[in-house]
Amino acid sequence: MHDMSAPVAHQHAPPTSFIRKYVFSLDHKVIGKQYYGLALLAAYVGMGLSWLMRFHLAWNSTAIPGLQFLSASGAPGGVMTPEYYLQLMTMHGTIMVFFVLTTAPFAAFGNYFLPIQVGAEDMPFPRFNMMSFWVTFTAFLVLMSSFFVGDGPTLGGWTQYAPLNAIGSVGGPGQGTGVVLWAVSIALFCVGQLLGALNFISTTLDLRVKGMSMMRLPLSAWSWFITSCIGLTAFAVLMPACILVILDHVAGTSFFVASGLVMNDQVLPHSGGSTLLWQHLFWFFGHPEVYIAIVPSMGIVSHILLANQRKPMLSQRVLIYSMGALAVLSYMVYGHHMFVSGMNPFSSLVFSFPTLVITIPSTIIVLIWTFSLYGSKLRINSASLFSLGFISMFVSGGVSGFFLAQPSIDIMLHATYFVVGHFHLVMGVAAMFGIFAGTYFWFPKITGRMMSEPLGKLHFWLSFVGAYCIFMPFHYLGMAGNVRRYSTFVDDFLQPLIPVHKFITIAAFVTGAAQLIFLYNLFYSRFKGAPAPDNPWEATSLEWSTATPPPFDNFGGKHPIVYHDPYQYGVKSSVGDYVMQTSPEQVETEFEEK
Amino acid sequence: MSQAELTMDEHSTSPMVGTAFSIPSKKLAMWLFIIADTMTFAACLVVYGFLRNGTANWPRPFHSITNVAIMTFILLTSSLTMLIGVRSARLGDKASAFRWTMVTAVLGIVFALLHIREWQGLIAEGMTLFKNPWGTGLFGASFFSITGLHLTHVVSGIIALLVVGVRYKGGRYNADDVEILGLYWHFVDLVWMFVVPLVYLLNLSH
Amino acid sequence: MTTAVQHKSDGIGKDLVIYVCLLALAGFQFLIAYQNLDSTQMLVRMLAVGCVEASLAVMFFMHLWSERRAFLVFVVVFTVAVLLGMQFGWTDSTRMVVGAPYSNVK
Repeated sequence: MHDMSAPVAHQHAPPTSFIRKYVFSLDHKVIGKQYYGLALLAAYVGMGLSWLMRFHLAWNSTAIPGLQFLSASGAPGGVMTPEYYLQLMTMHGTIMVFFVLTTAPFAAFGNYFLPIQVGAEDMPFPRFNMMSFWVTFTAFLVLMSSFFVGDGPTLGGWTQYAPLNAIGSVGGPGQGTGVVLWAVSIALFCVGQLLGALNFISTTLDLRVKGMSMMRLPLSAWSWFITSCIGLTAFAVLMPACILVILDHVAGTSFFVASGLVMNDQVLPHSGGSTLLWQHLFWFFGHPEVYIAIVPSMGIVSHILLANQRKPMLSQRVLIYSMGALAVLSYMVYGHHMFVSGMNPFSSLVFSFPTLVITIPSTIIVLIWTFSLYGSKLRINSASLFSLGFISMFVSGGVSGFFLAQPSIDIMLHATYFVVGHFHLVMGVAAMFGIFAGTYFWFPKITGRMMSEPLGKLHFWLSFVGAYCIFMPFHYLGMAGNVRRYSTFVDDFLQPLIPVHKFITIAAFVTGAAQLIFLYNLFYSRFKGAPAPDNPWEATSLEWSTATPPPFDNFGGKHPIVYHDPYQYGVKSSVGDYVMQTSPEQVETEFEEK
Repeated sequence: MSQAELTMDEHSTSPMVGTAFSIPSKKLAMWLFIIADTMTFAACLVVYGFLRNGTANWPRPFHSITNVAIMTFILLTSSLTMLIGVRSARLGDKASAFRWTMVTAVLGIVFALLHIREWQGLIAEGMTLFKNPWGTGLFGASFFSITGLHLTHVVSGIIALLVVGVRYKGGRYNADDVEILGLYWHFVDLVWMFVVPLVYLLNLSH
Repeated sequence: MTTAVQHKSDGIGKDLVIYVCLLALAGFQFLIAYQNLDSTQMLVRMLAVGCVEASLAVMFFMHLWSERRAFLVFVVVFTVAVLLGMQFGWTDSTRMVVGAPYSNVK
């Protein structure tokens, strides 16, 4: 019999050599940790870039010592040029969206915990999984290399709008080699995520252990499954788009450059293409990408809150359906990123409607969380605090989405800091909080040691207050007309806003420094933390029923059998107020989602 | 897989629930790949349609349908031979399955050669990725991108057919693998059913 | 489970019928190309025929019809939904020619 019901995963024996064990490993747990390491590195690089930008925005003529060594032409004497500011901004966006928000909650935690949560030994295609990571890692190297090649990275923003992305060096520093490297990097990234999505979907559908029906999957597994369905199709559209950009550069085509474009007093040789075409293609990927970043965090946060609130969700089924609705709607709303692009105004109206509709499943999700928390005796720890923080950020950032969904308001706000504040809160910081929550929650399982709770709580409060201090004022700046993507504010009407920028910059430095506490906690606890029991949070899902850290085949040669819905909290059993999914014990007040 | 193996899956010897759609994971993965690849081709065709819509005098340079008709016939026939190969593999007739897989690969090679010859003809007439004698350079760009993407798929398919065929004969791969490759090959055929009308027939000069 | 058994018991006859149908439909597309139609009309007809061809190929050459119904629904709904999502941009395509996105000028 071939792999019909497939405990095929670990036909490969545990590796012994260092390279097979830690570098080119086929083990989903090692690959998950590799993804986490990549995301961690990328996050701190991205944060460093934001520090440079924030400093320049507040004190635009003060030199940043040493910056001239990163780019002599971009920062002569340590003061960055407007172009170099844009280059840093582009890299910040690209690194954060692709290599942090996509890799950490989805690829890293998903790789490590999805197979364990469904009870599998590994993913069905370990080789694809390994390739997925190494292709992604190569993509990161290619992207970073653009700092050191030619005149630096591209300055077009993470969205790489046409025609700037296609006209070559005449568009400014980094628009030649920089864009090509960017496009190569992102095309590679797409390949990596496609391989990952194949694995995730087939793991969820095919490798569930006996008793694990789809409705018994933990919410985190559901969110990874839904996310991989989005990723499968979204990345498949971005990849050809990137290849067409590369063709525009190296083969002389002009898919994205219109005729007769004059740039720096030169008539460009390209002709006939469409700039809007790129925006349609990019945002067709780009909006689903937002949900690729946020949906895994929703699942992770639900998973963590349940373990800490000790009672079931109001309705797990509705929560799953709502996440599914987000995925479906994410393909119908992408045009709300293009209200100011010169798109057909009628399309704006068409896109505005589903954009408002998408707030319904989002609101349902938030309400389920809040009402489930109501009346619970929430256990306060770093993981649950960050989960609450996630909800807070998601709501605060999401509320401004109601405004931005309407073209008439968005046209005024789109090019301002209002939008920057909106997406940083709702997708950037919220997803980061999801990543932190997941880290504090699962760290004991991954490493066998507990993270320091006092340091974790300090990290939470500094990050939580800090994030609001940074991103709430962005909204006020935007309403005051502060344009985004400017490197220096010299206009009269912007002068009164400089103190706000200084405040934000100081807040950014403090909040950023708080992330060093996290880094210290991570590494200190890895080696010196208190030893963790197998189930420190008294949680119910399968990852807590195996050893800590899990053995090579996840369950030590056994196959667990699942008897319960994932979140049996608040029941009376022999072990306390919960029943593990793998425990055959029957309890009276069992909560069943039918 | 045999009937006995299939029923075993539904009863309790396996530790797993069983695959969601009662197909092997590999087959599911191939279907997922096909869904993703559909989006890739669809994006390219949307690009082509978008640009064609937006260009006032889109060139219509093709005079003859003979070549593309022959290519279509060959590709469709190769799908049929693939089906026969898959059926033979299912029935355990290794020699026949190998033979028909190879016939499919040969038909694929003929298709690719005809395609390359057609490209050469167009290039000789002065058509490149960025210019052509008939009008907007976008014509060459979209023609070569779409047919090039399809040709890449055909060539990968030929290589896969040869590899899988030989390894199936040698016993390393089984009937499932042949069937899964068959899915890919039919998909390449399916894409061609949209490439022909959109890229060739709509650009036929009257 | 019935799928694999069906593959065996159906003769090659059905495949041949589908093959002939596909050839006929492809030939039909070529015929449409020689009708005296404007591009839009031609496109619509060709796409309609292409969709019929594609469904035949997916359902019978790729055996989706004899898989579980749930799988058929999963693949078809997933693919069609995303493909439909890709169709929002068309009104913007003509503006390079006519200057206005919502004009009916061909």
